[in-house]
Amino acid sequence: MITARTISHRYNNDLALKKTSLHIAKGEFVAFTGESGSGKSTLLSILSTLLTPTEGDVFFLGKKVQEIHDIDTFRKENIGFIFQFHYLIDYLNVKENLKIADNSISDARVQTLTQKLGIEQLLEKYPNELSGGQRQRVAIVRALINKPKVVFADEPTGNLDSKNARIVFELFKQLSEEGTTIIVTTHNKQLADFADTIYEVSDGEL
Amino acid sequence: MFKNAFRTLQKSKLKTFLIYFSLTFSIASMFLISSISHGIIGMYSTMLQTDGDIIVTQKKIADTFFSDVDIKLLQSIKKIPHVSSASAMILGASPVETLPIVAVYGVTQNRFHNYKLLQGVYPQQNQALIGTSIYKQLSDKTKIQIANKTFQISGVFKSEIGFENGGIVLNIKDAGAIFHKSASILLLTTNLNANIETIIQTIKKLDDNIDVKSTNSFVKNYNQFKIIQTSSNLISFLAFVMGLISIISIMSITVAQRESEFGIMRAIGISMKKIVWSLLVEALILGLSSFVSAYLFSLVLLAIIKHTPSLQGYVNGVISLELFLWIFVSSLLMVTLGSIFPALKAAKTDPILLIQGNKS
Ligand SMILES: Nc1ncnc2c1ncn2[C@@H]1O[C@H](COP(=O)(O)OP(=O)(O)O)[C@@H](O)[C@H]1O
Ligand SMILES: [Mg+2]
Repeated sequence: MITARTISHRYNNDLALKKTSLHIAKGEFVAFTGESGSGKSTLLSILSTLLTPTEGDVFFLGKKVQEIHDIDTFRKENIGFIFQFHYLIDYLNVKENLKIADNSISDARVQTLTQKLGIEQLLEKYPNELSGGQRQRVAIVRALINKPKVVFADEPTGNLDSKNARIVFELFKQLSEEGTTIIVTTHNKQLADFADTIYEVSDGEL
Repeated sequence: MFKNAFRTLQKSKLKTFLIYFSLTFSIASMFLISSISHGIIGMYSTMLQTDGDIIVTQKKIADTFFSDVDIKLLQSIKKIPHVSSASAMILGASPVETLPIVAVYGVTQNRFHNYKLLQGVYPQQNQALIGTSIYKQLSDKTKIQIANKTFQISGVFKSEIGFENGGIVLNIKDAGAIFHKSASILLLTTNLNANIETIIQTIKKLDDNIDVKSTNSFVKNYNQFKIIQTSSNLISFLAFVMGLISIISIMSITVAQRESEFGIMRAIGISMKKIVWSLLVEALILGLSSFVSAYLFSLVLLAIIKHTPSLQGYVNGVISLELFLWIFVSSLLMVTLGSIFPALKAAKTDPILLIQGNKS
């Protein structure tokens, strides 16, 4: 599904990722753990096509990422994202945020997912009317709404209590069993145990 | 798409108003400066082109006000074949009653019919024909003091040309006494089948101190017009650049503030094309509303200027269709350029860096 070949990344002059190679299979549930600043987000951003590595190549679904013609549309069709901070669009209500990339998403789909995460009452609300945890759950629904082949989540449960955090990871587990590839970062070792594969990131290396 | 554009415009009202006002002001200044200079040039050329296919002026003269030609030349000019009429004019400006400066025209009698009488008759010696704008300002409607002489008022005329409507027409002899010359310019009309170039050459031979041109080429090459035109173009251009700079800078700030929004949009699969397009729609909404406001504002201001008595109708802006379209295109160009550059910069950055608000 995703192959990284000796990728390195530098921010200005700081080497944040050092010649990392790895392969992730379809339906695999991968967790990156490690201390803050170790390079988890950088690695996840590169694997998820959101950041161009300074060196090395990433192959996504057999295609070299840098050669994908319309990368934005490619992401819409294949990838779902959940970020450390929820990042909803503040002038759109919850429902509009969920449908922003693809207006043809059915209401039934919205219903099913929002119910699963307990936010089905919030569809008409605006982000600034929600609690941090509610916003995070909206962002999770947004990532899953168009049935992506791969879901990337950077510290997805940072704003959730342990009960809701478990619900989210159980959902990931279930999705990966249904064939969706799941790639998350977390510094919570217990949550990481839900994954099939756990990589320990330390100082820019696996 | 439009709904969202209005929402984002509404979200940051201050920014929206800043762009709206700076655009409106720069577009309005383009309208005003161009229309007024067009108006001045248009009025003056119409005046010269009335009963004048060919114009005779003093050689090497910067302004028709300074021109001095001998009226006796008229006799010889009239004899040239294919010349159908010839007249002389003095173009002067002088204090009149309490008004500091008023256009005074001394004309030969065969030009009187160009001034449409509203009341009274054309002037005899020591009489003056008064333009409507000036007449309205007189307290004594029977006589008028021009320079240090007093004239009887013979009648009132109306003209579409602001310079005439706010001026005074005298017999050329009377005007000559005020301005110390027999004529400023000679104007002649020719038969339809006349060869203008031959006539010009013939007239040139009559006097070494004169310059003879077809009125069209005179108007085209008249330095005063070129100066007005050039400075008006320059000021319009500056107004354009000011508008452009303000919209680019405000848009850059907007885009920077909204970088994470754009980053997230791209991450979840909204193409940069769509994002650039939505920024463009926002800018176009602003541009169009500023253009309409600036146009209406200019019309109102021009109407006020036209009816301000102290300006005597000399400042008379006309917004031609051509000028309208030209400024319309400039305005759209201004907002398009102003919004596209900052948006393209955002398009080139990796989404995650936009999301993190990386400023490097
Ligand atoms: N946009 C950036 N600009 C400069 N340095 C960065 C940027 N993002 C991350 N870094 C640096 O790269 C290193 C790895 O960061 P990151 O990938 O965010 O680690 P983690 O997600 O494990 O906390 C850190 O030293 C961090 O300071
Ligand atoms: Mg991180």
